Amino acid sequence: MPRGAAVQQRIDYPTGQETPVPSFGGGPPPPSSLRPPVSNARLGMLMLIGAETMLFTGLTGAYVMFRLGSVAWPSAHLYLPVGVTWINTFVLLFSCYTMRGALKAVRADNQQGLVKRLSITGLLGTAFLSIQGYEWSQLIRDGLTISTGVYGATFYTLIGCHALHVFAAVIWLLVVIWLARRGKFSVHNRVGVEICGMYWYYVGALWIVLFTLVYLN
Amino acid sequence: MLRWLPEDVSPYGPGIDALFYFIYYITAAAFILVTVLMIWFLFKYRHQEGRRAVYSHGNTTLELVWTVIPALVFISLGFASRSKWDEIKIHIPDTDTVIQVTAKQFNWEIVYPGPDGKFNTEDDKQIDNDIHVPVGKPIRVILKSRDVIHGFFLPNLRFKQDAVPGREINAWFQANKPGKYEIPCSQLCGFGHSGMKGWLYVDGPEEYKKWYDAQWPQAATAQGPAAEAHS
Amino acid sequence: MSEAGAVAAHDTHAAHHEELGFIRTYIFSTDHKMIGRQFLFMSLVMLVFGGLMAMMMRWELAWPESQVPFTQWIPEPYMYDGHMDPAFYNSLFTMHATLMIFFVVMPFMVGGFGNFLIPLMIGAGDMAFPTLNMISFWTAVPAAILILYSFFVPGGAAAGGWTMYVPLSAKAQYTGVDWGVNLWIISLIILGVSSLMGAINYITTVVNMRAPGMSWFRMPLMIWSLFVTAVLLLLALPVLTAALAMLLFDRTMGTSFFLPEGGGEPLLWQHMFWFFGHPEVYILVLPAMGVTSEILSTFSRKPIFGYRAMAFSMIGLAFLSWIVWGHHMFVSGMNPALGTAFMISTMVIAVPSAIKTFNWLGTLWGGDIHFTSPMLFALGFVSNFVIGGLSGIYMASTPVDIFIHDTYFIVAHFHYVVAGIIFGMFAALYYWFPKIFGRMMNETLGKIHFALTYIFFNGAFFPMHFLGVAGHMRRIYNPMQYEFLQPMQWWNVFITMSAFCLFVSQFVFIFNFFWSLVAGKKAERNPWQANTLEWTAPSPPGHGNFDVTPTVYRGPYEYSSPLVKEDWLPQDRRLGPEAAVAGHH
Ligand code: HEA
Ligand code: HEA
Ligand code: CUA
Ligand SMILES: [Cu+2]
Repeated sequence: MPRGAAVQQRIDYPTGQETPVPSFGGGPPPPSSLRPPVSNARLGMLMLIGAETMLFTGLTGAYVMFRLGSVAWPSAHLYLPVGVTWINTFVLLFSCYTMRGALKAVRADNQQGLVKRLSITGLLGTAFLSIQGYEWSQLIRDGLTISTGVYGATFYTLIGCHALHVFAAVIWLLVVIWLARRGKFSVHNRVGVEICGMYWYYVGALWIVLFTLVYLN
Repeated sequence: MLRWLPEDVSPYGPGIDALFYFIYYITAAAFILVTVLMIWFLFKYRHQEGRRAVYSHGNTTLELVWTVIPALVFISLGFASRSKWDEIKIHIPDTDTVIQVTAKQFNWEIVYPGPDGKFNTEDDKQIDNDIHVPVGKPIRVILKSRDVIHGFFLPNLRFKQDAVPGREINAWFQANKPGKYEIPCSQLCGFGHSGMKGWLYVDGPEEYKKWYDAQWPQAATAQGPAAEAHS
Repeated sequence: MSEAGAVAAHDTHAAHHEELGFIRTYIFSTDHKMIGRQFLFMSLVMLVFGGLMAMMMRWELAWPESQVPFTQWIPEPYMYDGHMDPAFYNSLFTMHATLMIFFVVMPFMVGGFGNFLIPLMIGAGDMAFPTLNMISFWTAVPAAILILYSFFVPGGAAAGGWTMYVPLSAKAQYTGVDWGVNLWIISLIILGVSSLMGAINYITTVVNMRAPGMSWFRMPLMIWSLFVTAVLLLLALPVLTAALAMLLFDRTMGTSFFLPEGGGEPLLWQHMFWFFGHPEVYILVLPAMGVTSEILSTFSRKPIFGYRAMAFSMIGLAFLSWIVWGHHMFVSGMNPALGTAFMISTMVIAVPSAIKTFNWLGTLWGGDIHFTSPMLFALGFVSNFVIGGLSGIYMASTPVDIFIHDTYFIVAHFHYVVAGIIFGMFAALYYWFPKIFGRMMNETLGKIHFALTYIFFNGAFFPMHFLGVAGHMRRIYNPMQYEFLQPMQWWNVFITMSAFCLFVSQFVFIFNFFWSLVAGKKAERNPWQANTLEWTAPSPPGHGNFDVTPTVYRGPYEYSSPLVKEDWLPQDRRLGPEAAVAGHH
């Protein structure tokens, strides 16, 4: 039996044969639509996003605690390259925009547009990672490493954890692109693109929060 | 159960023990209530031929009652506990006797400020694992640790406070009866945790002076320990 | 399906399953029932290990520094010809607790019964994501292997307590354990991923795959409890993962999150650990509460008392469990003003537990109580939970906790609640064994098992309160080193004797379990005449679970309903108009 077959079977509801007994006694089944409002895949994705949020809550909580508890923050003569990171932020935001385009394309059954926009998104994601990698190499040259006090530790852990998520998202996107090129998606079968898109948006939104928290002010 | 409580010689101990007894009576009552009802129901409503259970889904009034009553009990307990807690942990009384206790794997380093009443001066004295205090006087403790977290525990004084590396924690205790009391370490601190202990000597006025003079003979000729705070 | 007992009469496996090979059926199965069984067996094996470690600890505590029997084979520096090294004692309780909590109770209740029961009780054919489910199990296995393997690396297994307080566990030099702790961390991170996959699966399944008519408030309380547990898992475990990653970096990459000499903050670990840790204890206990609700209602032949209050109190526990973590840290050096706040929230969280307890009593009231083995174990769970819960009130009071923190009073408290869950586990196993394995367990042996377990459990854990009141610290390997504890030592001996008897009593169970597996009486579909949907499926259910998708007409606890002659009324039974009329009068 295919997965979920049980709920997909059609059933005729009996109506009105039973008089409801107070509270839980009985009565007809309440009319429940057979198709849930949020599909399994989307719901699962939402759950994953919830869990990721808690992971980042933990790390951000630590960051904030250390930050509030210390006098000099970052640490004496150290400045984060805010300018480059602004650019990087726009790169990531733009990738969310192109991802939106990809989702529109698949909803319009535009196969070519889908592949194209997904590819641009992937490139932008890679660009984000490369710029960040470059930035890190500069920082390390300037003497900020993961073992440079709690500042280095929280900075690299928090931002690195986010970068890891972008990396995972890019890999996932590559798989989706590969599938899209082989024509696996259509208006009727697009959940694979949709949940990848959800994750992409999430990673983008997360970045805004982290950027504001860690780089600005 | 509570007869196993170790002898208490501290000023706030009776308060703690009273709360302990208070909770003991409450919980014992709750336990007896629940257990008696349970056994009674189990007996009375055990399966018998022809018995049919009552068809009931609950009773809102009853449920409200057993939500509100425990809630009231818990809230009153909270209030009863609060003031005691503040007395022990927040309001540290003024005192002229201060010691510094630094925990390390697996010893207590006790530092006495000496006659000048200040730490980090010439006349500081460090003694491992033995604390000498005068009877009936509040003692302020500055609690530190060199390596890992330890727990400074005085069972007979109902006193416990973790010593955290990187922090100085202020606490206080007072012993109202002369004697010799054990100071176990209550927080897991490594393979030597079991057996990490010291002794608290609570000395009567004369004895304390004798001990004090032996430690700081130069001050003995001057005014003695009472002078500390006023110097 | 309008005839009484018709449910049990069916014996055909309607679902024709295509033949899957041995590997796909028993090892890499995507069937939720097989995965459930796999989790079950894994946790039973780990229970044996955890139990044996407890026995070694008990021997050491009763007769310190003597030769522990049967342990001469353990090499130095852990055991010197059977004489225990103190550091090894620390490893033992650390691993005992880790195994019991993460590899016994969680996989048994959440992994095992969660998997087995969720689709069956809500009337679905399988989980929402069967493949993810399989991966979840096969991620848990390496975690279990790693944690056991950590005994064999140089330095031995983690010895910082299951709470792994820093800086003790952040530097190898403090405990002498090097890779043991790293493996502990990695294992728990992997297990966290496994649980996360499980949680996503459970939530999605419960939200989306309920059979027609199975509205939220017709779900069995077991499903409610598993659902709430899954939400807690989903949100709590990532916090632990974050903390574990930070600890791992401190140990291996030179960071200093938790090391004061590098500007770190030891108390941060405690905050993060307990922010996860308190929800965790409800993750452990909620499913057992669900089991208890099912069983109490079934064998009292009576609807559960206050169904909605039961469901809402679980939701309440889940919410409140996020704001009480500080009660583990009253004397940790945390700002004392916070102590009061956490005391109040802790007092509040006891209220939903009180509601549950009294509702269970209300369920018994007016019932027609059948004393089967599952019922006895469920009652045992209630009894233990009440004792453990009430002892929690002592420590919730900040001044009292000053004295009893880190003493055996705490050990008594949490064994009554967490080890009390073992009663819930046994209850669940005796109750659903027929559904899981298609055979009945022996009732007489079950009752003997209950009696012995109940007596020796209390014998082993109740006197720990006395030790705690006397100030007996936890995590010490030799109480005789303390003069003030020496007069109490006979209690330790008593506890140890009881613990050994407890251990031996489990052989009754082991025998019953294996014997019933191969030679038990074949089970009918609904041996307990229960209402929930799993009992309408064959025992054991085939692939796809139900002959036809059930339609749900009523709540799960319609026992002794006036609508029908017999004293149970399955959720999916459609009544004719006559019954409706009968119910009207
Ligand atoms: C399943 C697990 C579980 C559960 C359910 C609980 C439930 C509770 N726990 Fe427990 N706890 C643990 C597992 C659990 N705990 C563990 C593992 C530890 C130790 C960790 C470690 O340090 O290693 C711990 C430690 C612990 C501490 C820290 C102690 C210390 O280290 O100093 C505290 C302090 O407040 C506490 C309190 C409570 C309270 C108030 C409840 C309440 O929720 C209980 C509520 C229940 C009842 C009260 C009983 C039923 C109610 C009635 C019959 C109503 C009538 C009652 C009255 C009117 C009083 N627990
Ligand atoms: C679920 C959790 C759980 C369970 C079930 C147990 C069970 C037991 N525990 Fe455990 N314990 C903890 C959780 C648990 N414990 C925790 C969290 C700590 C704190 C650690 C720390 O300080 O860091 C602790 C610490 C702890 C200590 C304190 C150590 C110290 O502080 O120095 C002691 C001492 O007596 C102890 C004893 C026991 C005993 C005798 C049992 C007995 O109940 C065990 C009985 C079980 C068996 C004998 C197994 C029988 C086997 C079967 C039934 C399997 C059948 C198999 C098949 C069918 C295949 N435990
Ligand atoms: Cu020092 Cu335990
Ligand atoms: Cu807690």
